[in-house]
Amino acid sequence: MARWLAGRLAQGVLTFAVATVLLFCLMRATPGDPLARLAGERQIDPADVAHLRARYGLDQPLGRQFATFVTGALRGDLGVSITYGRPVTALLRERLPATLLLVGTVLLVDFTLGLWLGVRQALARGRALDATLSTLSLAGYAAPSFWIGLVLAWLVGVEWRLLPAAGMADPLLAADAPWATRALDVARHLVLPALTLVVVSLAAAMRYQRAALLEVLAQPFMQTARAKGLPARAVVWRHGWRNALFPVLTLFGLWLPLLASGSVFVEAVFAWPGLGSLAAEAVAGRDYPVIMGTSLLVTVLVVASALLVDLAYAWLDPRVRHWT
Amino acid sequence: MSRWTPRLALVCSLAVAAPLARPAVAPLAAQRPAGTVVLVLPQTPALPIPTLMEGPAAHTANFDVADQLFLRLAVPLPGRSTADERAFEPQLARSWSRRDSLTLVFDLDPRARWHDGVPVTARDVVFTFDRARDPRVAPRLARPLHWLEGVTAEGERRVVFRFSRAYAEQLYDATFHVQPLPAHLVARLSPEELQRSAFAQAPVGNGPYRWVRAVAGQTVELAANPDFFLGRPGIQRLLFRIATSPDARLNLLLSGEADAVAENLIPPLANLERLAPRRDLRLVPVPSNSLGYLLFNQRDRADHARPHPILADVAVRRALVLALDRQAMARAAFGSYAEVPVGPSSQVLWTRHLAGRAKGPDPALARRLLAERGWRDGDGDGILDRGGQPLALTLQFPAQSGLRRQMALQVQAQLRAVGVRLDLVPLDGPVWIERRSAGDFDIDFSSASQDPSPAGLLQSWSCGGIGGTNVAAYCDPRVDSLMTRAIVTRGDPAPLWREALRQIEADAPAAFLYAPTFVYAVHARYEHATLRPDSPWANVWRWSVRPGAALPRDRVSAGAAASSAAEAGR
Repeated sequence: MARWLAGRLAQGVLTFAVATVLLFCLMRATPGDPLARLAGERQIDPADVAHLRARYGLDQPLGRQFATFVTGALRGDLGVSITYGRPVTALLRERLPATLLLVGTVLLVDFTLGLWLGVRQALARGRALDATLSTLSLAGYAAPSFWIGLVLAWLVGVEWRLLPAAGMADPLLAADAPWATRALDVARHLVLPALTLVVVSLAAAMRYQRAALLEVLAQPFMQTARAKGLPARAVVWRHGWRNALFPVLTLFGLWLPLLASGSVFVEAVFAWPGLGSLAAEAVAGRDYPVIMGTSLLVTVLVVASALLVDLAYAWLDPRVRHWT
Repeated sequence: MSRWTPRLALVCSLAVAAPLARPAVAPLAAQRPAGTVVLVLPQTPALPIPTLMEGPAAHTANFDVADQLFLRLAVPLPGRSTADERAFEPQLARSWSRRDSLTLVFDLDPRARWHDGVPVTARDVVFTFDRARDPRVAPRLARPLHWLEGVTAEGERRVVFRFSRAYAEQLYDATFHVQPLPAHLVARLSPEELQRSAFAQAPVGNGPYRWVRAVAGQTVELAANPDFFLGRPGIQRLLFRIATSPDARLNLLLSGEADAVAENLIPPLANLERLAPRRDLRLVPVPSNSLGYLLFNQRDRADHARPHPILADVAVRRALVLALDRQAMARAAFGSYAEVPVGPSSQVLWTRHLAGRAKGPDPALARRLLAERGWRDGDGDGILDRGGQPLALTLQFPAQSGLRRQMALQVQAQLRAVGVRLDLVPLDGPVWIERRSAGDFDIDFSSASQDPSPAGLLQSWSCGGIGGTNVAAYCDPRVDSLMTRAIVTRGDPAPLWREALRQIEADAPAAFLYAPTFVYAVHARYEHATLRPDSPWANVWRWSVRPGAALPRDRVSAGAAASSAAEAGR
């Protein structure tokens, strides 16, 4: 297993290196400059902008800028944000927990409620329950997340005032408020953004689970299980569901990084202080160090989630244990 | 794996979710309704430190917070001439006087203290101006201070400013741009060290509010400075919430989670309809420093050495301006909250009404002017042409700006009516700016934020500004002469500014479309809730909560806030 793991880690490092080079080149090939906007919008003299360009090292040749970035990154220094004037690593450290909380909650709901509903659909194939769940989930899937977010924020937050309309915590809470109070406060703020993302993502988990289980239910070993006289519930969950998890695991591996970087609109609509909004601001302002930092973090998530999924495959099915 | 696993997880999720719909318990013990203001910012005020708010950090969120923490020597009175030395309100400087036409002397208020209790001294002022005048450190500040020769201390409380030339706005330049820093805390730090220092994370100022804490990407909390030498703040706690989306900002206000949004709410005009029925909110219009205009490039975009084949002709530019119904466009976008300026004058400039009212529209005159210059519809396609070349131009604008997109469509239709073909080019923000700065455009839909002093016009509307911020290469030596004389005159500069603005309007280097009044919404429970045009929230410390109108969040104990601040300071 150690050899297999070392191989996968080496593969991950290679992926990471290629992604770094690509990201750097693509970012610099994009038109626009983090300081050019000052010359335009704030009517700052180009000579003054040149001073700032020198301060941020943007006047250096691209090769040298890349070398500076790589040597810094190897030491754990991703540079200083041009917009925030703060180390990128500090910004990522501050924003990552909010994103992990939001994405983690969404994945938890998707892969519990979503899978359960997918199983129910598969068992009720062709019946009213299947059709109803399919229609509802696909309607949610088809709706743009920012629109759902706007409607939920307006209806639940502004009109009904049941939950906070935006933010991650009540700023009026005292700094020394009890832990439970603070946790409950964060949970209240989490409901609407998480619900928005769940509405648009739940359908995929349901559809994957439904299709996979239907395929498994038709397998000969399922007939054997039934023939042995096992209760229906045991047949479905112990024999069928476990074997139908593979495509769902793949989906999980793909979604973890996708949700982390793709919740930009939802984070904006709900003023959720995560990585998505940080990345969106960075792209709009061409804040190169932050763009690189957030992109590399997502690359790490992609590599790590792929590795996790492979490990999960092996755990679920001894036949795919490559290292044995 | 247990068969109950999925269902169990679902039940647990619901069990956790059940109490969430309950509203939060009022968090703070009520002792005295001293007042809280929750203000929503569009950006994170990550670096509200004077001399560091440069480049991308020079945004309103940083300025809004810095203005609560750091005072200036004095501030200009809103709407008054920045050349009038009697039209300033003392802050750190108790008084000022002249030794001669080149020397200003300030006597600091002996009561002024930094939040750590150390007195504000002349050394602080000298140190900060030395940094501010260095273009490598603070280019934004150094430029308007280029006639400031030196700042020296005479004892602990007296500061002497020496200028290289006599001009009317010396006092304005000495007071408006720079907020002194505490030299005893930061003088040993280089600008780069200062940016990464503990001071930058928890600044120590001298203003009405002191730093308590910042929660990354969410809030900045300030507490009233009980020892503020200009008077005890009427609002005990100032909370800045951060929401980058306009929808989120408005939702926070409408849901009662915020007391004000630090942003102009018009356009869209639909916001007025949403806010009008709310008795708990009050609209506060404030003259703004914003200006929108169509900038006509006078150089060929392909070869900057040559004049623009169409727009170098002043008659064509005038015709384009006359073809536009600027009043109607401004009304459609802003309702009654904007005026059409004469020349590049936002509402914050005291010179804005000197040159009278904007003329037009007059499409008939526009057509006649174009015909006189040889532009006729020779092929009957509705587009004028001359020598086989159609009168066709492009208008570029940032695609993210809904206002500019909406107005660009109206401009396109109105110019089409006089035979001008206008192709719209929406661009990604950074690309738009890059092209604008490079002079790569025919017409640019520009927007500017102006300082309260008209002297700033020299940068973008003079021959000397070409190669700098005058990206359209507009040059009229008469305008240069008028503006320069207006800046240096010892007499009344108003007649000179009037002539300069009229001449700019006649030269038509741009079609000046709108100078908006910003409309802010503020909770109605506050008394004395006035906003300053140059720094809207700088007077929050003068606000107070009307008796009997306090909300639960206003019941903050002064002692608690002060101790939080002290704890943060440690």
